[in-house]
Amino acid sequence: MFGFLKGKSGQNGRKEKVVVIGIDGVPCSLLRRFIEEGLMPNLAKLAAKGTLSDMTASIPEVSSTSWTTFMTGVNPGRHGIYGFMELQKDTYQWRFPNSSDIKSSTLWDIAGRHNKKSIVLNVPSTYPAKPLNGILTAGFVALDLKKATYPDSAYQYLAGMGYKMDVDTKKAQESLSALADDIEQTFIIRKNAILHFLDNHEWDLFIGVITETDRLHHYLWAALEDPQHPQHNFFIDFYRKLDVFIGEAYEKTGDDVPFIILSDHGSTAIKQEIYLNAWLRGKGYLKFMKDNPQSLEDIDGESTIFALDPSRFYIHMKGKYPRGRVAPSGYENLRQRLKEDLMSLTVDGEKVIKTVFFREELYSGDHYDEAPDVVALSHNGYDLKGSISKIQITGRSFLTGGHTRGDAVFYINRKIQATDINIVDVGPTVMSFLKIRDDYFDGVSLMKNL
Amino acid sequence: MDFKEREMLMASSLEEKINQSKKVIKEAIEKFGTEKLAVAWTGGKDSTTMTWLFRETCRDLSVPMPKIMFIDEGYVFEEIWDVVNRLKKEWDLNVIIAKNTDVSDKAKNVGDMIKVSSLNERNRSEIAKLGFEDAEFPFEPESYVGNHLMKTVAMNIFLEDYGVHALATAIRWDEQSARIEETYFSDRSNPPHTRVQPILHFKERDIWNFIFKYNVPFCVLYNEGYRSLGAKGSTVKMSDIPAWEQDLENTTERAGRGQGKEEIMGKLRDLGYM
Repeated sequence: MFGFLKGKSGQNGRKEKVVVIGIDGVPCSLLRRFIEEGLMPNLAKLAAKGTLSDMTASIPEVSSTSWTTFMTGVNPGRHGIYGFMELQKDTYQWRFPNSSDIKSSTLWDIAGRHNKKSIVLNVPSTYPAKPLNGILTAGFVALDLKKATYPDSAYQYLAGMGYKMDVDTKKAQESLSALADDIEQTFIIRKNAILHFLDNHEWDLFIGVITETDRLHHYLWAALEDPQHPQHNFFIDFYRKLDVFIGEAYEKTGDDVPFIILSDHGSTAIKQEIYLNAWLRGKGYLKFMKDNPQSLEDIDGESTIFALDPSRFYIHMKGKYPRGRVAPSGYENLRQRLKEDLMSLTVDGEKVIKTVFFREELYSGDHYDEAPDVVALSHNGYDLKGSISKIQITGRSFLTGGHTRGDAVFYINRKIQATDINIVDVGPTVMSFLKIRDDYFDGVSLMKNL
Repeated sequence: MDFKEREMLMASSLEEKINQSKKVIKEAIEKFGTEKLAVAWTGGKDSTTMTWLFRETCRDLSVPMPKIMFIDEGYVFEEIWDVVNRLKKEWDLNVIIAKNTDVSDKAKNVGDMIKVSSLNERNRSEIAKLGFEDAEFPFEPESYVGNHLMKTVAMNIFLEDYGVHALATAIRWDEQSARIEETYFSDRSNPPHTRVQPILHFKERDIWNFIFKYNVPFCVLYNEGYRSLGAKGSTVKMSDIPAWEQDLENTTERAGRGQGKEEIMGKLRDLGYM
C-alpha cells in the first residue's frame, strides 16, 4: 500500500480529509473471530496498524436512530429520530420519518459550511436527498433513485451503472439462495459505486455504507453457525469479499488519510421474538376495539401503554392522544409498574429484559417531548418487536439474526486510547480531522487526548 | 432492457401500452400454447386488467383462454370473492382455486397454532427448507411459515399438478423500486417455469384510466380507499378517498407522509418491523 506516495491527500489543496466506511449491523466479535481465522487478512493488517474496538450503539439499537446519531453527533433528543416509525398523535396513524425529520445538522451540512466537499453514499435515513456541497445518494428506506440522489449528474451515473438501492428482500419468499444471490449482486454494485466515487471525485469527507451485511445477518445468521446450512459458505465468503473491499478502499485512500470503519449495531442469533404489544395486552395495559387489530388506530380508550418497534413504550396520556386517559398524576406510578413488570418478564425461565430506561436517562434536547416514555433493552437473542396483530407473546419468524446494542464496530487507522466508545462520539471524531471542533456535539472526539 | 427503453415504454400512451401488453401475451401464447400457460389472478385491479388483456388477445388469435389460478391463502376479503365470482361468470373464466388445504384444514381461526407433525410430507419438507425448527406455528397472515405454505407452496402445487410451463403475473415497474429490473419473460427455478409479466409498463394511473375507459368491474374496496389489495389482515387502507382519486403520481415524492407508506411498510416488514 503506497498511500503516502500516492499523496492523494495533497491534491487540490485538500489537506484535511477523512474516510468513513459503514458496515451495517456488523458485530466486532465476528470481525475479531474472522481475523483470527485468517478470513479477513486486509482487516487484520489494518487492525495491527490502528485500533479496532467494540462500540455501543444508540437506544433503540436500530439503524435509523443509530446512523442518525452518527451523522449528527447528537442524541435522539436533539436529532429527533427515535425509530423507523412514529405514531401521528391526533390520528393514531403511522408516520415514517425521513431526512426532513432530522432536526440537527449532519456532518456534511457542517462540513459544507466550512467549504468542505462531502460524498455520502447509502447512509440510512437520508432519503430524500437534500442538496449539499458534494454528492449524496440515500440509503434505507430509499424508494426512488432520482429522489435519493443529489446532484442529477450523480443520479445519471448511478442509473447508468444499474445501481441498486437495496437488496430485494422479497427474494426470500422465493428461496434463501435467491436472496443470497441478490445480496451478493447488490453488494458488488454498491462496492463499485463506492470505489468509483472514492477514486474519481474530489472530497474532503467521504462516507460510504454497506447495508448488505445487515440483510445477510437478519436472514442468514443461522447459516453462520451451522456448517450444514446450504448458505454457510455463502456467509463466510461474503465476509471474505467484504475484506477485499475494505482492502481496496484503503488502498485508494492511503495511510495518511484517517480511515474509519463503523457499524451501527451488532448482531446475534434470535432465540425468540418478543411481541411487546401482545404482552401489554396480557398484562392489561393495552386493549383494542377489535379482535384482530391491524394498527393503533384500533386502540381502545382504556389502554394505558402501547409499544412501537422495537422497544419503545408510550404512556397513553390524556390530552396527548385523542383517546388517552392517563392523567399526569398517574404517569410516574405507571412507568414504575411497567418497569417492574418488564424486569420480571421471563421466557423458558430466562429473563428477557436487561435494562429498562426512563426517557430522562437517555435523551435531552428540543425534541425530548417526542421521546418514548420508557425504552427496554433486552438480553441478547430476545428480539423485541412492536407488532400490533400478534396474539402470542413469543414467536419465531423468517429472520434468524437480530440486533445488539453492544458489540458494534469502531476502527481507525491510528493508535488511540479509548474505552467505552459510543456511536455519538464518531461524528465529532470525524469532524476533528477536518479541523472542525465544536462543543455543539453531544459526543466527544476520540482524538481529543492525542 | 435498458433504462431508456423502459422509460419510453412507461411514458407511452394508454393505447400503446395496451398494444405492447398484447404483443407480450401473443408471444407467450405462441411460445407456450394456451394449455401450458396460466394466468395468476388475485381479483385486484392489476391482475384483472391483465386478465381482460388476455381475453382480448385470445379473441384476436381465436385461441381458447388459458386457465386462471386464484390463490386462496385463507384470509381472502369477502369483497374479493364477490368480484371473482362475478367475473368468473361474466367472462366465462376457468378459475382454479389453489389452496393448501392440508394446512388450512388444521386451523379454525387466524391465530390458531398448527402442529408441524400434523401436516403432510410435502408441507413438512417445505417448513424444513425454511430452516424453521419449532413444533408448531400460528396460522397468521404475518407469519412467515403460514404465508409460505398458503401462498408459495399452494402456487407451486398448482404449477406442478397442471403441468404449467408459464405463469402470467401482473406486476408493474412503478410498484416498487425493486421491480425495476423485471423483464417481460423471466425464468424461475423450483419449480422450473417462466414468468410472463405483460403489464410491467403500466403505471398505477394507467390501470385506473384503463379500468374506467373499458368499464372493467373492480373490487369495491378500492372505493373505500385501499390502494392495493393483499391478504385480509396485512392490507391497510391508505386513505378514505377512492384509490383513483388519491395522489398516485407523487407516491415516492411523499415518502413517509401518506403515499409512500405502503412501500415503506413492506420494506420494514421484510426486516421484521411493523
